[in-house]
Amino acid sequence: MKNKITHIISLSYSLAKANFKVRNEASYLGILWYLLSPLSFFLIILHLRTTLSLDQGIEHYPVYLLLGLIMVNFFSQSVASSIDIIRSNANYIKTMKVNYEVFILSTVFRATFSHLFELVLVGVTLALLDLSLFGVIYYIPILVLYFFFTLGVCFLFSAIGVYFNDLKNLWTIASQLLLFATPVFYLVKEESPLHSLNLFNPLFGFLAAARDVTIYGTLPSLQLILVLIAVSVFFSALGLFIFNRLKRSFAELV
Amino acid sequence: MKRIIVKNLNKEFKLNRKGGGSVLSHLLGTFSGGKSQKLRVADDLSFDAGAGENIGIIGRNGSGKSTLLRLIAGIYDSPKGSIKTEGSLVYLSGFGQGLQQLLSMRENIFLMGAMMGLSNSEIKEKFDEIVDFSGLKEFVDAKVFQFSSGMLTRLNFSVMIFCVKHQNPDILLLDEVFSAGADIDFQERAIVKMEELIHGGATVLLVSHNLKMIGKYCNRTIWLEKGKIRQMGNTDQVVEAYLQAASGRLNS
Repeated sequence: MKNKITHIISLSYSLAKANFKVRNEASYLGILWYLLSPLSFFLIILHLRTTLSLDQGIEHYPVYLLLGLIMVNFFSQSVASSIDIIRSNANYIKTMKVNYEVFILSTVFRATFSHLFELVLVGVTLALLDLSLFGVIYYIPILVLYFFFTLGVCFLFSAIGVYFNDLKNLWTIASQLLLFATPVFYLVKEESPLHSLNLFNPLFGFLAAARDVTIYGTLPSLQLILVLIAVSVFFSALGLFIFNRLKRSFAELV
Repeated sequence: MKRIIVKNLNKEFKLNRKGGGSVLSHLLGTFSGGKSQKLRVADDLSFDAGAGENIGIIGRNGSGKSTLLRLIAGIYDSPKGSIKTEGSLVYLSGFGQGLQQLLSMRENIFLMGAMMGLSNSEIKEKFDEIVDFSGLKEFVDAKVFQFSSGMLTRLNFSVMIFCVKHQNPDILLLDEVFSAGADIDFQERAIVKMEELIHGGATVLLVSHNLKMIGKYCNRTIWLEKGKIRQMGNTDQVVEAYLQAASGRLNS
């Protein structure tokens, strides 16, 4: 059992590394692309913030925005690429006895690589704002929880994606809604209806906790920490459970 | 000692509802009562294979040969009937196992080795042998998309054979692995390596359209037709009956 898990993790890591390489070697800008897409969105919003009065007195707005942006990106891109990951690996699945889990795990690993690159941008922004870089260290445990939450959702979506092609299109819309409904570039006041809506949005909690430790140098409330742990455990268990129930027929369906 | 025991194995594929239709088509299908057609790909199959035994499997395209191997390998789920295997098992298919076009040959060897269950250090150990055997030493750092199809066959086969030899399985399921495309030099070396593997004591199920190969390595042969065992027994007799049926179809 332990051997199997080590094997799955190391294989996923190799696959993620290979994929990462494939993506970057064919392009001129390579890994810079990972930084350019959040960076461009970041600059647009930053530019619009006074016109649209988005910042509502948010302290250290640029880094508030950037951290939120890359976290939502991490989630929605992991899910987007896991939806058809089983289908796109059909050649392996049909001709080899492999643990299908490696494909999903490698997707989230790859997203984590790029997230770490983007985190460098956060560090730069923090430094430009004369803030301490120390908070980034406290971000790591939150990222670990966020990783498992994302992984669970990816397991879920990759399994369902085998049965429903439409999920891919659906997610393009859903992930945009998520980006705008989650307080990424604005602040949700506690009395607003959006706040109660966001209580059902797991990303909201992760973003709040991450911003607390990284930017504002405060620890999130114990209650929030417990909720985040529960959310990540629940989603990874649920995802794995559903995936395991459905995976037996993958080879026939792709 | 029996390595493989297959008893009353049944398997059906749904034809019309290949997974991943749109929601709309699922709904329409429900309303119009569209019945999905079923194809019986394994129809009450029973046989067994002892330790060290080599069994050939022949049959026309779509008769369920690969399906049978994939069922035994556990790639397809089998709800009906029973399959018992004893010992470690490797399934090999000759139809390219996903070389990554944009990676170099070196990277592909490591990736494929990892997919086949070897650790990084184990692949490192084998690396030089694999490259030597493939005869593609000068292209180790070239990207695979520039390789000719014969070179791809060489690479694919070399990685496969060394990884399998390293794993030293008790059961070997070979699905059309003698794919042509490489030149005579390489084919001869490949066949020698393949023989080492087949005669290495493992139980081998060999799916092939190359009847000479079947005749050479297998003492028993199963002839599949539409998922059923049409004939099973001594290789010479089964192959002869198979050829007769084929020439009968040609003449009619």
